[in-house]
Amino acid sequence: MSTTTHPAAPESTAVVSRRRALTVTSVLGLLGAGFVAGFSNLLFFRPRVTYGEPSRFRVGKPESLPLGTRLPLSRQRVTVVRTEAGVAAISNTCTHLGCVVATTEIGFDCPCHGSRFDADGMVLGGPAPRPLPWFQVSVSPSGEVEVDTSQPVPTGSYLKV
Amino acid sequence: MKTEEEGFLATLQNLPTNVWRSIFRNPLPSSDLGRSQTTFSNLFLHVHPVKTHAHSLRPWYTLGLGVVSLSLFVILAATGILLMFYYVPSVEQAHDRMLDLNGTVAFGVLLRNMHRWAAHGMVALVFLHLCRVFYTGSYRAPREFNWVIGVFLLLLTLGASFTGYLLPWDQLAFWAITVGTSIAGYAPVFGEQIRFLLLGDRVVGQEALIRFYVLHVAVIPVAISVLVAVHFWRIRKDGGLSRPEGLDLPEVQPKFPEALAGKLEGLAPAAKTAKTKTFGVMGIVRGPFNKVGATPDNTVYSWPNLFIAELFCFALTVLLVLVVALLWNAPLEAPADPTHPPNPSKAPWYFLGLQEMVSYSAFWGGVGVPTIFVLLLLAVPYLDRGTRGTGVWFSRHRILGLTAFTTLLIVNLVLIVIGTFFRGPNWALVTPW
Repeated sequence: MSTTTHPAAPESTAVVSRRRALTVTSVLGLLGAGFVAGFSNLLFFRPRVTYGEPSRFRVGKPESLPLGTRLPLSRQRVTVVRTEAGVAAISNTCTHLGCVVATTEIGFDCPCHGSRFDADGMVLGGPAPRPLPWFQVSVSPSGEVEVDTSQPVPTGSYLKV
Repeated sequence: MKTEEEGFLATLQNLPTNVWRSIFRNPLPSSDLGRSQTTFSNLFLHVHPVKTHAHSLRPWYTLGLGVVSLSLFVILAATGILLMFYYVPSVEQAHDRMLDLNGTVAFGVLLRNMHRWAAHGMVALVFLHLCRVFYTGSYRAPREFNWVIGVFLLLLTLGASFTGYLLPWDQLAFWAITVGTSIAGYAPVFGEQIRFLLLGDRVVGQEALIRFYVLHVAVIPVAISVLVAVHFWRIRKDGGLSRPEGLDLPEVQPKFPEALAGKLEGLAPAAKTAKTKTFGVMGIVRGPFNKVGATPDNTVYSWPNLFIAELFCFALTVLLVLVVALLWNAPLEAPADPTHPPNPSKAPWYFLGLQEMVSYSAFWGGVGVPTIFVLLLLAVPYLDRGTRGTGVWFSRHRILGLTAFTTLLIVNLVLIVIGTFFRGPNWALVTPW
């Protein structure tokens, strides 16, 4: 209908009309802008630093951890273990729903929903789906044992000291 | 001119009237024209149509659940804004501010109680409203999308309640959110990422508190307000509340129960001009119930019939919340202690069904089943394309859908009851008595 009233319209023999090209470009531009905005927001909401407990911390010289030590650190949610195999750090956060497990004679008990773990953090019973993770342990330049809770390691990874 | 002749004294004398009339264009209506004008010339009232079908005003049809839900939201917004004047979203101060509200702030306890009980009430009432809409088949065409909006409003209500749960920063708050967000962590692939984004950290702490605060006082309330506006507007655009089809057909009309003839007699009269009625643009609204000339008029004027009913629901809600808030104090436990979880730690009650399922299967209980349930809810109006039994409670034409929905409802309720009352230390089964 509009083509009959607009004498210029039939002359448009280009493969894509100007109006259509502009429409497609605008739509793509808007979609692109929306995508960039969404992605930027995702980056914005993902903090690069966290303000809580630092994930790396030192727990003292190896000499301060005698053989047989099982030292629960409640703030860092980690139990530092010293055996003949070396030093290790086992998470104290229950893999079920994030409660803090309590250290017992045979291992760990979760007070929230009854998950039980052995001394190595393997599941003995209850709803926990995974064993307690172990964290990387290293010796810092000052000679202190350092735990990094952002670096999980396989169960049974001891640091020889 | 005449007014100039009247002089300054007369201008002063007429001042109150002139001011009043500049605000309220219409006097209190005494005619049908006036009732129409009152409704459609007011920004807030014109969310409703000028006339409402008599069936929509039957208390036992809607039970007023939608209006009560909105009333609770209004109470929550009002008390919430007042509480914001004293609350500080910081892990050092939040709990102290709760003690201040309970101890030193005038009416602090009352406001906190009202806010807490209205919040629990809103979760329950929005869910009951969903049940009402399902059991009357009101989600069916042309109201499918309003049902979808309603499901999102239910999810937003749960979100508002969940984010508010953390703010008192007591033991209950801390561990309920720890447990609740851990359930989110069970989502496949992105679970831990989602939890990290939600908390702003790996554990519940200051970052989580400020995030939940902003969501609770700004993002979610605004989203709810916008969706509620659309929800109400669409009721109107979809031809009013659902009602049994054929209710308005001429041959059925004489049999239409006493409602119109007797019970509603005291109400403002409906127009008796079915045949000669003229329609404006609103006459061409989509939907099966609003065809020009095809529908005898079983409508009554919204002013005052509908508005009085809504005002009654609102007043009753305020009264009930006030009474409950005066009788029972909102609990406040010891300050949050991230090193000592209470035994057992429980999520908010409406998530205890999930937590109960999580104790059997982490993924299916926490993520799989709830996702399927929400998707099913969203799909309901697009799966059920029938028309028989719409607008009737528990219609036997819908026996299959009713049975399926009721089964899921009972399972969820049983799980919530088990999680709330029958789970003790170490999540062991206990008896509450």
